[in-house]
Amino acid sequence: MGIIKIKLPSYMRSFANNTEVVEVNGNTIGECLNHLVKKFPGMKKQLFSKTGSLFENIIISVNGESAYPEQLAKPVKDGDELNIVFIVGGG
Amino acid sequence: MLTPSELERYDRQIMIKGFGKKGQEKLKQAKVIIAGSGGLGSPSSIYLAAAGVGMIRIIDHGSVELSNLNRQVLYWDEDIGRRKVTSATEKLRRLNPEVEIEAIEETITEANVSQLVAGFDLIVDAMDNLPTRYLLNKVALERDIPFFHGAVYGFEGRAMTIIPGKTACLECVYHGIAIPEEKFPVIGVAPAVIGCIQAAEVIKYIVGIGELLTDRLLIYDGLNLMFSEFRVRKDPDCAQCGHLGGKK
Repeated sequence: MGIIKIKLPSYMRSFANNTEVVEVNGNTIGECLNHLVKKFPGMKKQLFSKTGSLFENIIISVNGESAYPEQLAKPVKDGDELNIVFIVGGG
Repeated sequence: MLTPSELERYDRQIMIKGFGKKGQEKLKQAKVIIAGSGGLGSPSSIYLAAAGVGMIRIIDHGSVELSNLNRQVLYWDEDIGRRKVTSATEKLRRLNPEVEIEAIEETITEANVSQLVAGFDLIVDAMDNLPTRYLLNKVALERDIPFFHGAVYGFEGRAMTIIPGKTACLECVYHGIAIPEEKFPVIGVAPAVIGCIQAAEVIKYIVGIGELLTDRLLIYDGLNLMFSEFRVRKDPDCAQCGHLGGKK
């Protein structure tokens, strides 16, 4: 199981001890996010709905590339960097 | 043909390598829609008018409110209560009387969007909600009109340029996801940054210089002053543009 870096958006960092990049372990994006939540339980409400699915307004990239359509099921490997991006609609 | 006055007004940008009088002529001939005349529409319309885009059509249905003034820099205290498109048109005409500014006071809907953009070359997305952005994305694809996306929240911003049939569209990035429409926090400098990026993309596209912000969503984090990119591929199964071919 590799070491994956997750880069958090600014507004989520307060839920992770003001950390910008968190190192986690996992073979998929879903496993990595679960490890992130294990390290920082406050992240759970930022990422997942009550039913446990990733919030719709969150999109994830692996090494800068969109993880769609696999999203949580997408495999990751040692050294990969995940970026959590939230969709905004203001103007 | 550029007039002596235009040659002087645009002298500094005509000096840019690859721009020249030809580039300025192209800007003069261009017809651009600015959909929304708020936080994003203010800077994008100001800089496109200043740059000499020949015709700008501004579409907005709102009136100026005091709470708009922290970011919607086209409007001043004296404009409170006035129609946004009226006030915007006046300001832009005073900024540059050599460009044509047209105001349309309407809400963009599925029923009127096609008519509103007909005959125009480019669309700037300066909306404040995702559903209308998807509507504009759809009509831009149908009518083969380049579409310049921008959005903001707090100190954050997003931007992407969409060339129908060639690059990923808004639907390829967001997959039609709707987020609740509610009053959103925003500091004026966020739409200022994103609106200027949209205007820069429009100018580059018209003049034909530089590289466009295509197949990548630009992510602006103003709090940490960082720009990053979210690379996107044109989705062959995209509900909106999948049938248009292009890169796969």
